[in-house]
Amino acid sequence: MRVHIEKVDSKDQEEAVIKAVEITDEISGAVELLEGDAKGFAVSKDGKTYILKASNVYYIESVDKKTFVYTRQGCYDTKYRLYELEVLLGGYFVRCSKSMIVNLRKVRNVKSQISGRIDATLINDEVVVISRGYAKEVKRRLGIG
Amino acid sequence: MNKLKLWFEQTAIISFSIFVGILIEGLVYSVFLGDDLSAFSLSWFHILSVILAGAICSVMTILLFIDTNILKNKFTVKIIIHCLSVYLIIVLFGWFFKWFTKLSSFIMVSVIFFLVYAFVWTVSLWIYKRDDNKINKALNGIRDEE
Repeated sequence: MRVHIEKVDSKDQEEAVIKAVEITDEISGAVELLEGDAKGFAVSKDGKTYILKASNVYYIESVDKKTFVYTRQGCYDTKYRLYELEVLLGGYFVRCSKSMIVNLRKVRNVKSQISGRIDATLINDEVVVISRGYAKEVKRRLGIG
Repeated sequence: MNKLKLWFEQTAIISFSIFVGILIEGLVYSVFLGDDLSAFSLSWFHILSVILAGAICSVMTILLFIDTNILKNKFTVKIIIHCLSVYLIIVLFGWFFKWFTKLSSFIMVSVIFFLVYAFVWTVSLWIYKRDDNKINKALNGIRDEE
Protein backbone atom coordinates (compact mmCIF):
# COMPACT_ATOMS: atom_id res chain seq x y z
CA MET A 1 0.00 0.00 0.00
CA ARG A 2 1.30 3.46 -0.87
CA VAL A 3 1.66 5.81 2.12
CA HIS A 4 1.45 9.59 1.75
CA ILE A 5 2.34 11.88 4.61
CA GLU A 6 1.37 15.52 4.34
CA LYS A 7 2.64 18.01 6.91
CA VAL A 8 -0.04 20.21 8.51
CA ASP A 9 0.23 23.22 10.79
CA SER A 10 -1.84 22.17 13.80
CA LYS A 11 -3.12 19.11 15.68
CA ASP A 12 -6.69 20.03 14.64
CA GLN A 13 -5.82 19.33 11.02
CA GLU A 14 -4.32 15.91 11.67
CA GLU A 15 -6.24 13.07 10.07
CA ALA A 16 -5.55 9.74 8.37
CA VAL A 17 -7.49 8.59 5.33
CA ILE A 18 -7.17 4.93 4.39
CA LYS A 19 -8.33 3.84 0.96
CA ALA A 20 -8.76 0.07 0.87
CA VAL A 21 -10.68 -2.59 -1.05
CA GLU A 22 -11.50 -4.39 2.21
CA ILE A 23 -10.79 -3.98 5.94
CA THR A 24 -8.06 -6.51 6.65
CA ASP A 25 -6.55 -7.31 10.07
CA GLU A 26 -3.57 -5.14 9.20
CA ILE A 27 -5.82 -2.19 8.41
CA SER A 28 -7.87 -2.72 11.59
CA GLY A 29 -4.58 -2.80 13.52
CA ALA A 30 -3.45 0.43 11.88
CA VAL A 31 -6.79 2.08 12.70
CA GLU A 32 -6.52 0.94 16.33
CA LEU A 33 -2.99 2.30 16.50
CA LEU A 34 -3.97 5.65 15.00
CA GLU A 35 -7.01 6.00 17.22
CA GLY A 36 -4.94 5.13 20.28
CA ASP A 37 -6.97 1.99 21.11
CA ALA A 38 -3.98 -0.34 20.80
CA LYS A 39 -2.11 1.54 23.51
CA GLY A 40 -1.78 -0.11 26.86
CA PHE A 41 -0.97 1.26 30.28
CA ALA A 42 -0.28 -0.14 33.72
CA VAL A 43 -3.12 -0.44 36.20
CA SER A 44 -3.44 -2.32 39.46
CA LYS A 45 -6.12 -4.12 41.40
CA ASP A 46 -5.86 -6.09 44.65
CA GLY A 47 -2.09 -5.64 44.66
CA LYS A 48 -1.65 -7.10 41.16
CA THR A 49 -0.44 -5.07 38.19
CA TYR A 50 -1.97 -5.46 34.75
CA ILE A 51 -1.43 -3.90 31.35
CA LEU A 52 -4.81 -2.61 30.28
CA LYS A 53 -5.62 -2.08 26.62
CA ALA A 54 -7.10 1.37 26.00
CA SER A 55 -9.98 -0.13 24.01
CA ASN A 56 -11.24 -1.82 27.21
CA VAL A 57 -11.57 1.43 29.12
CA TYR A 58 -14.99 3.03 29.59
CA TYR A 59 -13.95 6.09 31.56
CA ILE A 60 -11.24 7.34 33.89
CA GLU A 61 -11.93 9.33 37.00
CA SER A 62 -9.79 11.27 39.43
CA VAL A 63 -10.92 11.25 43.07
CA ASP A 64 -8.83 12.75 45.89
CA LYS A 65 -5.71 12.81 43.69
CA LYS A 66 -6.10 9.10 42.88
CA THR A 67 -6.91 7.92 39.37
CA PHE A 68 -9.42 5.14 38.79
CA VAL A 69 -9.94 3.33 35.49
CA TYR A 70 -13.35 1.77 34.80
CA THR A 71 -13.79 -1.17 32.45
CA ARG A 72 -16.47 -3.80 31.87
CA GLN A 73 -14.59 -6.07 34.26
CA GLY A 74 -14.41 -3.53 37.07
CA CYS A 75 -12.40 -0.70 38.49
CA TYR A 76 -8.61 -0.42 38.58
CA ASP A 77 -6.31 2.24 39.92
CA THR A 78 -3.33 3.67 38.13
CA LYS A 79 -0.33 5.81 38.97
CA TYR A 80 -0.93 8.01 35.94
CA ARG A 81 -2.53 11.40 36.47
CA LEU A 82 -5.59 12.32 34.45
CA TYR A 83 -3.76 14.85 32.27
CA GLU A 84 -1.04 12.27 31.49
CA LEU A 85 -3.64 9.72 30.36
CA GLU A 86 -5.38 12.39 28.30
CA VAL A 87 -2.14 12.91 26.34
CA LEU A 88 -1.17 9.22 26.30
CA LEU A 89 -4.50 7.86 25.06
CA GLY A 90 -5.65 10.72 22.81
CA GLY A 91 -8.05 9.77 20.00
CA TYR A 92 -11.55 9.17 21.34
CA PHE A 93 -10.50 9.61 24.97
CA VAL A 94 -11.71 13.06 25.80
CA ARG A 95 -11.98 15.15 28.96
CA CYS A 96 -15.67 15.42 29.84
CA SER A 97 -15.30 17.23 33.16
CA LYS A 98 -12.54 18.49 35.43
CA SER A 99 -12.14 15.04 36.97
CA MET A 100 -13.08 12.64 34.19
CA ILE A 101 -12.00 11.32 30.79
CA VAL A 102 -14.53 9.30 28.80
CA ASN A 103 -13.94 6.88 25.94
CA LEU A 104 -16.34 8.14 23.27
CA ARG A 105 -16.41 4.68 21.68
CA LYS A 106 -18.22 3.43 24.78
CA VAL A 107 -20.92 6.11 24.72
CA ARG A 108 -24.34 4.91 23.54
CA ASN A 109 -25.99 8.32 23.40
CA VAL A 110 -26.06 11.78 24.93
CA LYS A 111 -28.92 13.91 26.20
CA SER A 112 -28.70 17.53 27.27
CA GLN A 113 -30.42 18.61 30.45
CA ILE A 114 -32.14 21.98 30.86
CA SER A 115 -29.25 23.03 33.12
CA GLY A 116 -26.86 22.68 30.18
CA ARG A 117 -25.02 19.61 31.42
CA ILE A 118 -24.95 16.61 29.07
CA ASP A 119 -25.75 13.13 30.34
CA ALA A 120 -23.83 10.47 28.41
CA THR A 121 -25.18 6.93 28.68
CA LEU A 122 -22.46 4.33 28.20
CA ILE A 123 -22.97 0.94 26.55
CA ASN A 124 -23.07 -0.66 30.02
CA ASP A 125 -25.95 1.73 30.96
CA GLU A 126 -23.82 3.80 33.31
CA VAL A 127 -24.36 7.55 32.99
CA VAL A 128 -21.48 10.03 33.09
CA VAL A 129 -21.79 13.79 32.92
CA ILE A 130 -20.21 15.87 30.16
CA SER A 131 -19.86 19.45 31.36
CA ARG A 132 -21.09 22.02 28.83
CA GLY A 133 -17.63 23.59 28.86
CA TYR A 134 -16.11 20.40 27.43
CA ALA A 135 -18.83 19.81 24.79
CA LYS A 136 -16.88 21.78 22.20
CA GLU A 137 -13.86 19.48 22.53
CA VAL A 138 -16.11 16.38 22.39
CA LYS A 139 -17.59 17.64 19.13
CA ARG A 140 -14.15 18.44 17.76
CA ARG A 141 -12.92 14.91 18.50
CA LEU A 142 -15.97 13.51 16.74
CA GLY A 143 -15.21 15.65 13.72
CA ILE A 144 -18.34 17.80 14.02
CA GLY A 145 -16.94 20.77 15.94
CA MET B 1 -11.27 32.63 34.84
CA ASN B 2 -14.19 30.72 33.27
CA LYS B 3 -16.61 32.59 35.52
CA LEU B 4 -15.13 35.93 34.40
CA LYS B 5 -15.45 34.86 30.75
CA LEU B 6 -19.05 33.79 31.35
CA TRP B 7 -19.76 37.12 33.07
CA PHE B 8 -18.42 39.10 30.10
CA GLU B 9 -20.32 36.92 27.62
CA GLN B 10 -23.56 37.20 29.59
CA THR B 11 -23.14 40.96 29.99
CA ALA B 12 -22.77 41.29 26.21
CA ILE B 13 -25.75 38.98 25.51
CA ILE B 14 -28.09 40.61 28.03
CA SER B 15 -27.11 44.17 27.03
CA PHE B 16 -27.65 43.23 23.39
CA SER B 17 -31.05 41.71 24.28
CA ILE B 18 -32.09 44.95 26.03
CA PHE B 19 -31.06 46.96 22.95
CA VAL B 20 -33.14 44.56 20.81
CA GLY B 21 -35.99 45.18 23.24
CA ILE B 22 -35.61 48.95 22.76
CA LEU B 23 -35.60 48.40 18.99
CA ILE B 24 -38.82 46.34 19.19
CA GLU B 25 -40.42 48.98 21.41
CA GLY B 26 -39.43 51.70 18.94
CA LEU B 27 -40.86 49.72 16.03
CA VAL B 28 -44.14 49.06 17.85
CA TYR B 29 -44.53 52.74 18.75
CA SER B 30 -43.67 54.01 15.28
CA VAL B 31 -45.38 51.39 13.09
CA PHE B 32 -48.48 50.57 15.15
CA LEU B 33 -48.97 53.68 17.28
CA GLY B 34 -47.77 56.28 14.79
CA ASP B 35 -45.08 57.92 16.96
CA ASP B 36 -42.47 60.09 15.29
CA LEU B 37 -39.22 58.06 15.23
CA SER B 38 -37.10 61.16 14.59
CA ALA B 39 -38.03 62.36 18.07
CA PHE B 40 -36.41 59.26 19.58
CA SER B 41 -33.02 59.75 21.20
CA LEU B 42 -30.71 57.58 23.26
CA SER B 43 -28.50 59.42 25.74
CA TRP B 44 -25.05 58.20 26.75
CA PHE B 45 -26.34 57.39 30.23
CA HIS B 46 -29.09 55.23 28.73
CA ILE B 47 -26.44 53.18 26.89
CA LEU B 48 -24.31 53.00 30.05
CA SER B 49 -27.33 51.97 32.13
CA VAL B 50 -28.15 49.16 29.69
CA ILE B 51 -24.58 47.80 29.91
CA LEU B 52 -24.64 48.15 33.70
CA ALA B 53 -27.98 46.32 33.88
CA GLY B 54 -26.50 43.57 31.69
CA ALA B 55 -23.50 43.27 34.00
CA ILE B 56 -25.67 42.91 37.12
CA CYS B 57 -28.14 40.53 35.46
CA SER B 58 -25.24 38.34 34.33
CA VAL B 59 -24.22 37.85 37.98
CA MET B 60 -27.65 36.25 38.51
CA THR B 61 -27.00 34.02 35.48
CA ILE B 62 -23.64 32.91 36.89
CA LEU B 63 -25.42 32.02 40.16
CA LEU B 64 -27.99 30.04 38.15
CA PHE B 65 -25.27 27.88 36.60
CA ILE B 66 -23.12 27.42 39.73
CA ASP B 67 -24.57 24.00 40.56
CA THR B 68 -26.09 22.17 37.59
CA ASN B 69 -25.94 18.70 39.15
CA ILE B 70 -29.40 19.03 40.64
CA LEU B 71 -32.81 17.58 39.82
CA LYS B 72 -34.76 19.00 36.89
CA ASN B 73 -37.52 20.30 39.21
CA LYS B 74 -35.02 22.13 41.42
CA PHE B 75 -33.37 23.67 38.39
CA THR B 76 -36.78 24.80 37.10
CA VAL B 77 -37.33 26.59 40.44
CA LYS B 78 -33.89 28.18 40.03
CA ILE B 79 -34.89 29.39 36.54
CA ILE B 80 -38.10 30.97 37.90
CA ILE B 81 -36.11 32.74 40.66
CA HIS B 82 -33.54 33.84 38.05
CA CYS B 83 -36.26 35.16 35.73
CA LEU B 84 -37.97 37.16 38.49
CA SER B 85 -34.71 38.55 39.90
CA VAL B 86 -33.51 39.65 36.45
CA TYR B 87 -36.95 41.20 35.82
CA LEU B 88 -36.68 43.07 39.13
CA ILE B 89 -33.23 44.39 38.18
CA ILE B 90 -34.55 45.52 34.78
CA VAL B 91 -37.56 47.24 36.37
CA LEU B 92 -35.36 49.00 38.96
CA PHE B 93 -32.90 50.13 36.29
CA GLY B 94 -35.79 51.18 34.04
CA TRP B 95 -37.33 53.21 36.84
CA PHE B 96 -34.02 54.78 37.95
CA PHE B 97 -32.71 55.61 34.46
CA LYS B 98 -36.14 56.47 33.08
CA TRP B 99 -36.32 53.79 30.40
CA PHE B 100 -40.07 54.14 30.76
CA THR B 101 -41.97 57.21 31.81
CA LYS B 102 -45.58 56.04 31.58
CA LEU B 103 -47.53 52.91 32.49
CA SER B 104 -47.96 51.79 28.88
CA SER B 105 -44.19 51.78 28.26
CA PHE B 106 -43.64 49.94 31.58
CA ILE B 107 -46.10 47.25 30.42
CA MET B 108 -44.35 47.18 27.05
CA VAL B 109 -40.93 46.71 28.70
CA SER B 110 -42.36 43.91 30.87
CA VAL B 111 -43.93 42.09 27.91
CA ILE B 112 -40.73 42.43 25.85
CA PHE B 113 -38.66 41.16 28.81
CA PHE B 114 -40.68 37.97 29.22
CA LEU B 115 -40.80 37.40 25.45
CA VAL B 116 -37.01 37.81 25.15
CA TYR B 117 -36.46 35.59 28.23
CA ALA B 118 -38.66 32.84 26.80
CA PHE B 119 -37.01 33.24 23.38
CA VAL B 120 -33.48 32.88 24.84
CA TRP B 121 -34.43 29.64 26.64
CA THR B 122 -36.24 28.26 23.60
CA VAL B 123 -33.19 28.93 21.40
CA SER B 124 -30.83 27.44 24.02
CA LEU B 125 -32.90 24.24 24.27
CA TRP B 126 -33.11 24.03 20.47
CA ILE B 127 -29.30 24.38 20.24
CA TYR B 128 -28.86 21.66 22.92
CA LYS B 129 -31.20 19.33 21.01
CA ARG B 130 -29.40 20.00 17.71
CA ASP B 131 -26.01 19.34 19.38
CA ASP B 132 -27.33 16.08 20.90
CA ASN B 133 -28.50 14.88 17.48
CA LYS B 134 -25.17 15.75 15.87
CA ILE B 135 -23.15 14.02 18.61
CA ASN B 136 -25.39 10.92 18.64
CA LYS B 137 -25.13 10.61 14.87
CA ALA B 138 -21.31 10.83 15.08
CA LEU B 139 -21.23 8.32 17.97
CA ASN B 140 -23.15 5.78 15.85
CA GLY B 141 -20.17 5.61 13.52
CA ILE B 142 -17.51 4.86 16.14
CA ARG B 143 -19.29 2.94 18.91
CA ASP B 144 -17.82 -0.30 20.22
CA GLU B 145 -20.23 -3.17 20.68
CA GLU B 146 -20.39 -5.03 23.98
